[in-house]
Amino acid sequence: MKSRLSRGLVFTALSLVGVSTVYPLIFMALNSMRTAQAFEVNPFALPTHWSLSSYSALFSQVPFLQSILHSLFVVVPAVILATFASSLAAFVFTKVPIKLGNVLFWTMLMIMFMPGIVVLLPLYVEVARTGLANNFAPAILIYTAINIPYGTYLLRSNFRAIPNSVVEAARVDGASWIKVYWRVILPIGKPGMITVGILTFLNIWNDLFISLVLLHAPNTEMVTPTLAQLSGKFTSDIPVLMAGLLLGALPTLLLYAVTARVFIRGMLSGAVR
Amino acid sequence: MSNEDDVPSLDEPERIRKRRNVFSYVALLPAAVLVLGLMVLPIGETMYHSFTNWDGVTSKFIGLTNFNLIFHDAIIRQVFVNSLIFLISVPLILAASLVTAVLVYEKVLGWRVFRFLFFIPMVLSPVIVGVLFSTFFLPGGAVDQILKPLGLGNFSWLGNPWAARWVVILALVWASFGFGMVVILSAMATVDVALYDAAAIDGASWWRRLRSITIPMISGSLQFLSVINVIYTFTSLFAFVFVITAGGPGFATTTVDYYTYITTFENGQFGYGAALALLLFLIVLTLTIAQVKLFPNREVQQGS
Repeated sequence: MKSRLSRGLVFTALSLVGVSTVYPLIFMALNSMRTAQAFEVNPFALPTHWSLSSYSALFSQVPFLQSILHSLFVVVPAVILATFASSLAAFVFTKVPIKLGNVLFWTMLMIMFMPGIVVLLPLYVEVARTGLANNFAPAILIYTAINIPYGTYLLRSNFRAIPNSVVEAARVDGASWIKVYWRVILPIGKPGMITVGILTFLNIWNDLFISLVLLHAPNTEMVTPTLAQLSGKFTSDIPVLMAGLLLGALPTLLLYAVTARVFIRGMLSGAVR
Repeated sequence: MSNEDDVPSLDEPERIRKRRNVFSYVALLPAAVLVLGLMVLPIGETMYHSFTNWDGVTSKFIGLTNFNLIFHDAIIRQVFVNSLIFLISVPLILAASLVTAVLVYEKVLGWRVFRFLFFIPMVLSPVIVGVLFSTFFLPGGAVDQILKPLGLGNFSWLGNPWAARWVVILALVWASFGFGMVVILSAMATVDVALYDAAAIDGASWWRRLRSITIPMISGSLQFLSVINVIYTFTSLFAFVFVITAGGPGFATTTVDYYTYITTFENGQFGYGAALALLLFLIVLTLTIAQVKLFPNREVQQGS
């Protein structure tokens, strides 16, 4: 692959794939600023006069910004709880092994890819019976629990890379296990934990199923169910739909753009397997 | 399995060992309580209720009736066939991941930018990807507009069983190849560059090096991706199906989890839904065990 021609071909191929991943965002952005009639005529044209009326239509007809807040309200605590609980568990699994720990680790491994519906059937009934339907607390805890197995699994392989000698040295110096976790594992494992935190954020923010089932009242609805129902409401007004999709994607896109360096490096270091 | 990690030596004082145990249990507590209480216990409850006629409030033990009904339900057969059809996406995702990874690995001008861009679908919700793709394929929508010059009229993409399935598959492949690319790239990073240099000196062509060095060296990752994506086809299509086709036309794109959702949350048949969920769980569990058994040395492979 040294020749200029072949490198040009590779570049062209990459560009085509790149267009396919970016163009949908541009499509959403451009069409969100056009009128429904203009879209009908040609979905690919540029806006002739830029208008933000789709956005005001979106905000006036759907509690869209509230749904973003609801999502943040659930996702942020769940991400912190899940990452923290996973890192503690992963620390025990790798550096302070105990008998019962292995049982728990294998349990997590077995249910890591479990479809959410298996647990959500009884949990939904339980939540409804205890009068906690449309309450954020159960949703936060369930999202936390569901994300712990994968987080623990990833952090376990991450913490394994931290040499035992480092832990031993700290122990010999008289550091308690809590101190080892706080002063040794967390600083060294920080990139891995950030990657796991971002993945957990994406998982929960982007999930439809649990939010749809647990938080269906208008005053608790998260952003994904709101978006899912938009397509039914605005089939004839695509620009409003595009405005909603773009705004719904913005938080994760921003998170990705801001953390891309650490995130990509974390993913490439084999953190995802 | 992690004996080599057993840091404290055998001759440590009893007092310290005890303290280590206290710490371990306290540290495991948050994860253990949440996972046992909100996952393991509910799985048990779902198992139990799969043998009842649960309606969400009352339930009576009815033995294997639910499973008997499931095996004689023509829709369920269709739903499982759909899942098998959606497996078409797995080789497509693998191919797309491999091609993009290999191209990015060439490190041509702007390769970091491309890598950044290829991740974008991965951070978008299946809801957003799904709604977007469904608007592309609306009658008279973007795709029809592109095809118009070719003399093709408006086609009801989402009204045709096979076309609708392909739209779902397309959305799934687009949303998933970024993850596959990362896994493959991280595997390729562990391949010794000297191997390529030696092969180049021996006059091996680029294709030859790809076939004889790269692919064998990353075969573990490719197998891992296959199993993971098979699992995803069974467990993660809910959102795509919900927003693109709502399971239609008819039941042509209904997946097991979507059908379970309908039977329980829309029709209130919780016992029947529990039995379906249990079947899905067993399928995924089998695949997970296969994954663990097939690749016991994952951590070793990925180096440190």
